[in-house]
Parts: sequence; C-alpha cells; structure tokens
Amino acid sequence: MLLSSVDTACRRAETSSEVGVPPGRWRLARGGHSLLIDKRDLVVTLLLLLGLLAASAAYLALGSVTLGPGELLAGLIGGGDPMAVFLVQELRLPRLVAAWLTGAAFAVAGCLMQTLARNRLATPGIIGIDNGATAFAVASVVGLGVSLAPPAMALAGAATAAALTFGLASGGDTRGYRFIVAGIGVGAVFGAVTQLLLARVAIDTANAAYPWTVGTLNARSGQAVTVLAIGLAVGLPLALALARSLNLMRFSDAVASGLGVMLRRRRWQVLSLSVLLTGLAVAVAGPVGLVGLVGPEIARSLASRRGVPILASALAGALVMVLADLAGRLLLAPIELPVGIVTAIVGGPWLLWILLRPAAKSLA
Amino acid sequence: MTARVLSHRGLPEGLGRPLIGLGLLLALAALGSLLLGAGEVTPARALAVLAGGGDDEARFVVGSLRLPRTLVGAAVGLALGVAGALLQAVSRNPLAEPGLLGVSAGAAFAVALALWLGASAATLRVAVAQLGALAGCLCVLGVARLRGLGNDPVRLVLAGAAFSALLAALTSLLLLFDQRAADEIRFWVIGSLSGRRLEDLLAVLPSLALALTITVLVARPLAALALGERVASGLGHRPGRVRGLVVLAVALLVGAATAIAGPIAFVGLVVPFAARALAGPDIRRTLWLCLPLGPLMVITADIVSRLLVAPSELSLGVLTALCGAPVLVAVVRARRLPTL
Repeated sequence: MLLSSVDTACRRAETSSEVGVPPGRWRLARGGHSLLIDKRDLVVTLLLLLGLLAASAAYLALGSVTLGPGELLAGLIGGGDPMAVFLVQELRLPRLVAAWLTGAAFAVAGCLMQTLARNRLATPGIIGIDNGATAFAVASVVGLGVSLAPPAMALAGAATAAALTFGLASGGDTRGYRFIVAGIGVGAVFGAVTQLLLARVAIDTANAAYPWTVGTLNARSGQAVTVLAIGLAVGLPLALALARSLNLMRFSDAVASGLGVMLRRRRWQVLSLSVLLTGLAVAVAGPVGLVGLVGPEIARSLASRRGVPILASALAGALVMVLADLAGRLLLAPIELPVGIVTAIVGGPWLLWILLRPAAKSLA
Repeated sequence: MTARVLSHRGLPEGLGRPLIGLGLLLALAALGSLLLGAGEVTPARALAVLAGGGDDEARFVVGSLRLPRTLVGAAVGLALGVAGALLQAVSRNPLAEPGLLGVSAGAAFAVALALWLGASAATLRVAVAQLGALAGCLCVLGVARLRGLGNDPVRLVLAGAAFSALLAALTSLLLLFDQRAADEIRFWVIGSLSGRRLEDLLAVLPSLALALTITVLVARPLAALALGERVASGLGHRPGRVRGLVVLAVALLVGAATAIAGPIAFVGLVVPFAARALAGPDIRRTLWLCLPLGPLMVITADIVSRLLVAPSELSLGVLTALCGAPVLVAVVRARRLPTL
C-alpha cells in the first residue's frame, strides 16, 4: 500500500516536467541551483521587518520631545530644525541601532543555545552566560589589573561561564533541566562575583559599573557597539549557514548523525557562535538576557515548524528590545527605566508561563 | 524499623556527638565574630573587653556592634536553616530553598511595597515581610501543586528563579519610583547583618518562638508524611493540616529573617544539605542538626564578609551565594536526585 503510493508519486514526478515542490514552499531555480523558500516564513519575516520599522519610527519620534512625522523625516534626512536633527541623529538613532544590534544578538544566541540543548529554556541568560560576561566586563571597568577592553573581557567571561556550565552538567549531557540548574548555580556565582567587585571599589567607580548589573542602553560605549556590529555581521550569516544542520540537530543524536551532521564539530560551532554573540551584546547593554528567551519564542510561535527560525529570531529580538527600551523611556518619564528591568518584568512571567504550560516538555 | 523510627521521642540516637561538635564550632565562630572586624579594634583589644577590661572604644564596638550582630546572625541562620529543611520536607524536593523559590523575594517586595505606600520602615517591617513571605510561599507551592511540578525538583527551582527575578525587578521598580524608600532600604535589600541592633532581634523573637513551636509539633507528622500520604493518614495525621502548618512556619521564619537581614539566598539549601549528609534523611534528625549548623554558617559567612574587603564590608548574600551555588550544582549533579 505504502510502497505503491510511493511508486505512484515517483512516476508522477518523472512524468511531470517540474520537480515536485513540497506544499507551502516556493522553488527558486536558476541554472543548476535551486532554493526552497517557505511561504509562511517569508511572510513572517516581512511582517516582523514591518513591525520593526514601525517600532523604530515610534522610537525615533517619541520621547521627552515628541516629533511629528514631517519633523522626524526632516531630522533623519538632515534638513529642517537643527534641534530635531540633533535629537534624531545624535541622541535617538545611535541608541536605536544599539537596541537593534543587542536584541538581534541576544535572540540569535538564545535560539542557537535552545537548539543545541534541545530545551527552549536553555538560553544564555538563564544558564549564567550573561552573568559571566557581566562579571568579567565589570572587572575590566573597575580596573582590576586587567587592561582589556570590556568587549574582550565580556567575551572571555561568557566563554568561561559556558565552559563551567557545560563542564558541570555531568559529562556534556545538555538535555534536561539538570543542565539548566547547573547554569543557574554558575550564574549565581558570577552574580555574586559582580557584587563583590562593585563592593571593592570606591563609590564613583561602582556607580560607573552599576549599569552593567541591571542592563541598560544608556551607558553603552560606541566602541562596543561597533564591535558588536562586526560580530553580528559575521555571526548572523554563519548562523544562517548552520541552519540545515541545526534543523537536523533538533532530532536525536542518532538521527542527526545518521543524516550526515558532524555533531561534535557542529556543537562546538553553535556553542561558540552563541557565546560570541552573547558576550558582545552584554558588552553593549549589560545582562538583558531575557530577550534571548522572548525573541526566539515569538519567532517560533509565528514561523513554520520546519526549521530553526534564525532570521525571524533576530528580527523579533530587535523588535522586543526596541519596544522594551521605548517603554522604559516613556512609561515613568522623566525617570528612565533601565531596559533590563522592563524585560525582567515582561520576561519573568513569560518564563513562568512556558514552564507551567501543559506542553512545557515538548522541545523547541 | 519504621515503627521504631516513628515511635521515637526526644533526641534521636547517635546525634549527641555531632551536636556537641557543632556546638563547639558554633561557640568558636561566635567568639571569632566578637573578636574580628573590619574596623580598628584588634582581636587583642576585643579580648581584653571579654576579660572584663579594655578601653571605651573597644567596649563600645564589641558590646554594641559585634554582640548584637552575632546574635542577629545566629537568629537569621537558625530561621533560614530550619525553614529550608521544612520546605524541602513538605515539597519532597531537595532543592526547595526559600531564597531560590522566591519566598525571600516575596518578603522583600512586600516591604518595598509597604514603604512605597507610605509606611515607616521601623514599625511594620516584620509583619509585612512575613505576609509577603507567606504569599510567595503559597504562590510557588500552589503553582507547583497545580501543575505537578512538585514531582520535578529542578523545574520547580526554575519556576522559583523566574518568580524571584520578576519580584526583584518589581522591587527595584518601586525603589526607582520613590527616593525616600530607596534610601531607607537600599542597604537592607542586598542582605547584610551590619548595623543591626538588639531591638531588631527582639521584634522578631515572638514569631521565631511561634514558628519553632510549630516545627516541634509538625516534626513527627512530617516524618510520617515522608513515608507517603496514606501511611501518614493511617497513623492518624492529617496531611493537609500538616502542610498548612509547615507553610505557616516557613513564612514566619523567612519573613522574620528577611525583615532583619534582607533577602539571603542559599542558607536554606546548604544547611539542610549538610545536616542530611551528617545525619541521614530523617526530618527530625535533620532539624536537630540545623539548629547549630544554620547559625554556624551565617556567623562564619558574616566574619568572612567583614574581613574579605576590609576596611569596607561585603554583603552577606554575596558570600552565601558563593558557597551555596556549588552546593546547588553538587545536588543537581548527583546521578539520581534524592527524593525526600
């Protein structure tokens, strides 16, 4: 019965002039190469892009001084009121770009780590990588003998925390919640180390390092943003190139290696990429790790179930970051709420909801 | 065997020696806490005060600063250790810790909320913190029962972490709103014993006594409950009522400890863990050993917090996290999670 239907399908494929395209996808072919594009993923990506543009426009226009559409456009292009130009180009646009980059980096790192651990809760923020990066970055800011720039230190911290968590999670077994609690423990230690470092230094330096502990876009350094932009420009294409292997890594190890995934090498690549993006993003914004949970979660709920939504995660993460920072700026004006607090207030219940859903056990 | 365990009264056998040893260690730690400090009063000068002499400055430092601090530390350690043991027994989960599950965060948030609403810190703090702890306790345990998370120790911790993160963010939000409240509790919210007075201790003494009385009453039913609900009911205990009493005791203990020292995590994890390692899983034996172990841990951590970054001081919560997180990892790494 099954065999005969397969047989018919094969014959149909032979007789029809076109190669069979799975439902819900478009086939782009040129010469000897072809590409399958998922219709739903395309629509979702475009929608997220539109949402990001709208949120960005709102981000640029709203604030202590609200700009109309005309003023905003003039400010962007460079003509018109010098005040508006200054406001848009000098104050809000750099911060918006930082929000885009950090949101995308956190979300892609989260998506990669979730796929690697086959657990949607295993994001860098939860398994302590953010805290490790923060502790090292704070060490460099308070001047603890090491004179590396914060991005480099944050990278080193992220790598250390990841190594600790994976080393402690009994023999590389990354599945299950045991791994995550080991990560929570590692994160607690690094959180304590951060407090320790802040307590050791004079009060004015501690104030300089304080933004690191809550997560804010207000204290970013231009250099760190540049480094993050470069990292993302390299890392995002790499992550997209890994997408096929990532799709297969969602299955069991036996299935994945049977389908030709070089698991050991791929795991290292995915882990390093995730650590790189997390470290660089923490160097800009501090630990805003819950974006790494919320971004991929939104992307997954929208995109098709066929693949690992790297691009959609990046867009959703950027969107969440822009909205969270906008909310932090507007909600309690003139007091500015650090974006880390906004994401904790949104992301905490989100995490609980994921945990308490009946289907919480299902994989990403 | 079971019958013997359940009919046992008084001090369980074989605990005499560990208790005496731990008592000696505790006395040593208390002495160290009186002698060592971040300030200028050296151990020799403090020793002179203890011998009955000494100069005025040393007498003031030892009598009015270090002695209250040591006593408060003992009370906090006792409360948190016993609360951890009780919570772990009732949720049958070796990772159930008041700090990790968000009970301490609930207490801290309640205090911040009360301050924001205009209450003064000195008067209401204990009761408010205990109410907050009770709410936090009921929230986490209720949610866990609702979804059957109680069977999965590790996921309960994750839920607690999410809950604590949310409450901590809300607390800092309130502090951002209100400068006065922020000034009043900024040093309290990080968890520390520095500057605590005897009046603080006296304020929580009644609730501590009440909670310990409840603990004595529920120890036997809890031991029976460890054998399963049916066995416990068959032996004439009412599981529902026992659980309610335990939650009440935990809320009283954690609320009291949080009210004087701020939220301090991991003590309720490390102390029962060590007690079980010394005395086995029986809850009554665990509780007996928690009595000296809790104060021992907090006082020792407090001494280290004074010395590590002298002449300034470190918050106590940082130190308990530093020694508690490895224990957490060790518990999780054990091949089979022990179910209680």
